[in-house]
Amino acid sequence: MSSIEPELPAQDPVTRPGTTLSRRAALASGVGTAAMLAAPHVRRAHAAGLNLRMLMWQDYNIAETVAEFESEHGATISPAFFDGNSEAFNKMKAGGTGDFDLVMADGFWPRLYFRDGLIQALDPARLPNLTNLFPDFQPGAYDLLLDQPGGQLIGVHNCWGSYGITMNTQHIPEEERNSLGVMFDEKYAGHLATGARFEENIAMAGIMAATQLGTKDGPRPNGDSSFNPYHLTDEELEAAKQLLIKQKSLLVTRYQDYDSLQRLMRPGLVWASPEFSEIYRRLTRARRAGEIEFDVVHTLQPKEGGLGWIDSWQVSSGVTDPAMVELAHAWINHYISKQSMYRVGMKGVAPCYDVRDLLPPEEVSLLMLDRTAELRGLHMFDQPSSPEKWERVWSEVEAA
Amino acid sequence: MATEIASARGQLSPEARFLLLALPGALFVVTFLILPMLSILVFSFWRTESYNLIPEWSLDNYVVLFTTPTYMTFLLRSLLTAVAVSMVALIYSWPVAYFMAKYGGRYRLLLSLAVAAPFFTGVILRITGIQGIMGPVGLINMGLMNFGLPPISFLMYTPTAAAIGIAYLFIPFMVTAIYLSLLNFDFELLEVAKINGAKAWRAFFEVTLPLNWIGTIIGLVLVFVPALGDSITARFLGGPNAASFGQVLSLQFGETGTWALGSAMGVVLFLVSSFVIFLMWRSVNLRRSGFTGREG
Repeated sequence: MSSIEPELPAQDPVTRPGTTLSRRAALASGVGTAAMLAAPHVRRAHAAGLNLRMLMWQDYNIAETVAEFESEHGATISPAFFDGNSEAFNKMKAGGTGDFDLVMADGFWPRLYFRDGLIQALDPARLPNLTNLFPDFQPGAYDLLLDQPGGQLIGVHNCWGSYGITMNTQHIPEEERNSLGVMFDEKYAGHLATGARFEENIAMAGIMAATQLGTKDGPRPNGDSSFNPYHLTDEELEAAKQLLIKQKSLLVTRYQDYDSLQRLMRPGLVWASPEFSEIYRRLTRARRAGEIEFDVVHTLQPKEGGLGWIDSWQVSSGVTDPAMVELAHAWINHYISKQSMYRVGMKGVAPCYDVRDLLPPEEVSLLMLDRTAELRGLHMFDQPSSPEKWERVWSEVEAA
Repeated sequence: MATEIASARGQLSPEARFLLLALPGALFVVTFLILPMLSILVFSFWRTESYNLIPEWSLDNYVVLFTTPTYMTFLLRSLLTAVAVSMVALIYSWPVAYFMAKYGGRYRLLLSLAVAAPFFTGVILRITGIQGIMGPVGLINMGLMNFGLPPISFLMYTPTAAAIGIAYLFIPFMVTAIYLSLLNFDFELLEVAKINGAKAWRAFFEVTLPLNWIGTIIGLVLVFVPALGDSITARFLGGPNAASFGQVLSLQFGETGTWALGSAMGVVLFLVSSFVIFLMWRSVNLRRSGFTGREG
């Protein structure tokens, strides 16, 4: 990866033409310079021997970023990985605040973590790299990383995306590509796949069911003011279950990982599948290299509605030692730096930070960094209104 | 120093020596079997609400498990798979183990290592490997399609594919158990049976199999129990219609966070496994099996 890294643009020195350097200014600047030079070493001495334990998605464990941080701070990083939000949430509930210093989550989940006392409020002053955040994700446009009603920062944006549908344009006609209906259409039987995540399967079917029932604009449960596919009425949930049962006969499989889906989509066995746009990127690159003979599109927001996410870093409530709190902030700030986010982008995940000047134009387009505004219309990943009810529905689908 | 230890050893009563020897095994069983099982048992009578475990005692989880056709479907599906896989493993493993024991000669160790070779890697890697053989774009189906033949659909993300995967994972256990049993078998007995007029199949069913029944039963248990609780294979190879009891059970402790129901499922799985082991053990006649140790 280092061989393809571009040079980061040098910071413009702030100069004041016409001013002369006084002795006091020279002394002050000397002291300042000495302090600046010493700062990493002071920080290093402060953090030396400390260990940051993280519960995170494996994709974000980038060796270079970790090595840089460890070298700069003299601390060590111990990552542990999870697949879905509820899995991480359960781990944190089951004593995870003592086992992990940082945890990643997306959508509404940070608020649930905060409400349950699993994470702590963050200090934006210690996160100067936040200034590079895309405007579409800043408070006002995206408030899910602020506590309600306090408005404290409870998580720091990392990457964003949708759970959109990647489609093979040879088989799915253009007029159908903007609809979730593709995933439930019998004419595509044997050529569809979905992910194994039960929440997103039910939520997506819930959007379709509510659209078919015409209940999206009706009264909502849980006191919601607008439709949330994770808070379905019993009628919608039942209709979603029926859709999922019907969908089973159309599916090749529920894929467990990207590679499995790629093995099915690349030879043209599967024509459409919801995914986090990773396969869309891989297949588009393969198409550009002339390795496959069909185009793919990724529908971020179907006309019925779509699912989206911003994932983020949170600091566990178990971190009470000020040095560890400082170190946790330092890690987050390091991770959201342009250089680190560039690496994340080159791994194929869209950063929440503007690194378009570092990335090749085709990567900017593949990462949809010019489409950040589309996130606003998506339903954010959330906790099911009743995990018990949703478990029953999913089991009934699986047993049918 | 050595003498002191020896004299100290000499002072141990037989009871103390017995306890000392039994202690590591007992500690292991208590720590890693009984205590976790007890906690699972307790949780199974509680309930969960939005990822919180609530200690309110009731039989609700068991009522749900035994009255909702959904969970019985998973259990039945897993039971049928485990029985089928055990039978296939039994039929497949006997000739393999017999060949190794009778004709392996000085290559016996090498052959038994070859049987264990898949265990040199992790289970996910082995499943990925078998996916590469049986999957829609696997070796078999791509080979068929290259010759203009249709792919074999039951090898692609079906309950059969999951069963084949489970058999592949656990057959080495059965082969090893039968092979170890056959190592102590006196093949001369077969000659005696033949001299007395027994045909080969009769000698097998009346001499070889009964005298190696304990090894066979151990092999069956080693295949049946993990096959019954399997969660990984069905997930990766089974497709949308193969969700197993173990797979749904693992979901309760992961994504859905319904630990109490998952605990009840765990208890049911443990009881079913224990019952099957009990039935199998009942079929063992120690005298007929050539057991020569103390029975009491």
